[in-house]
Amino acid sequence: MPAIIAVACLIGLAVNQFRPDGIALVGDWSQDARFLDAAGDSLVVSIETAEQLFRQERALFVDARSQREYAAGHIRGALSIPWQEVDRYFIEMVDRLEGPHTIITYCDGETCDLSHDLALFLKEMGFENVRVLVNGWTVWKQGGLPTDEGG
Amino acid sequence: MRGQFLYHAARIVLGLIFLFACYDKILHPGEFAEVVYNYQLLPDSLVNVTAILLPWVELALGLSLIFNVWIPGAVLLGNLLLVAFFSALLFNLARGLDVSCGCFSTAPGEEAIDHFTVLRDMSFLLVSGYLFYAALLSGSPAAEKAAWPRAETE
Repeated sequence: MPAIIAVACLIGLAVNQFRPDGIALVGDWSQDARFLDAAGDSLVVSIETAEQLFRQERALFVDARSQREYAAGHIRGALSIPWQEVDRYFIEMVDRLEGPHTIITYCDGETCDLSHDLALFLKEMGFENVRVLVNGWTVWKQGGLPTDEGG
Repeated sequence: MRGQFLYHAARIVLGLIFLFACYDKILHPGEFAEVVYNYQLLPDSLVNVTAILLPWVELALGLSLIFNVWIPGAVLLGNLLLVAFFSALLFNLARGLDVSCGCFSTAPGEEAIDHFTVLRDMSFLLVSGYLFYAALLSGSPAAEKAAWPRAETE
């Protein structure tokens, strides 16, 4: 067994070293490094900043989860643009996305990528001021901040 | 004779399973690292190393099983890996983490973990468990028992 592992590891390391798409041995998996826009800048907004923007009515939250999850509970005033059907919902919501506010996308879970995908999509569609609230639904609820049901 | 046939069949099937499993991961180390990260089981610093090495371990293991070399070690390692994968699946299902399996494909959202992936893993475990018994527990040294020529003279 050690022989198999040793051989495999040596080959694996060597190949990773020389292939063009090899990866770093120790990756940076911090939030700021994982949620980047096309230019390589972090999209992450902290819960504190998100709350502040919410209180000042300068934020527009966009829920990237499914319609069903949105209906079960969402950040107060949030729009629903399920990533699964983004084309359809985007056309419906596009007028309401326009404005001087910061668009903050969110989904649920530390590893949920829906909000990130949605944020990249919105940026590509020309919306400049887009942020991601990582694990948004959970941290919003933990903060005891205003939510709504239905929709 | 029948036992011999079953033994070799199980060995080759399990070998093929590991070969299929490693193929996509070896091609896409970055995507596979994402899968490993999403399981949320390893410390961040070990994610990339695991993503780099694990597929090659699967490859070596698969080849070793198929070509009937280093069988005792391969069988033990295969069982350890499958038990680890199985536990990881169960653990994340139990805590309700919605992650993609990354078992045979690294494409994001390709296959979410669910009861099917658990059952599939269990069926692999049955095969590897049988091999464990046949190669390591049933008496004669596995290398002797497993060798094709000698099997035919028995």
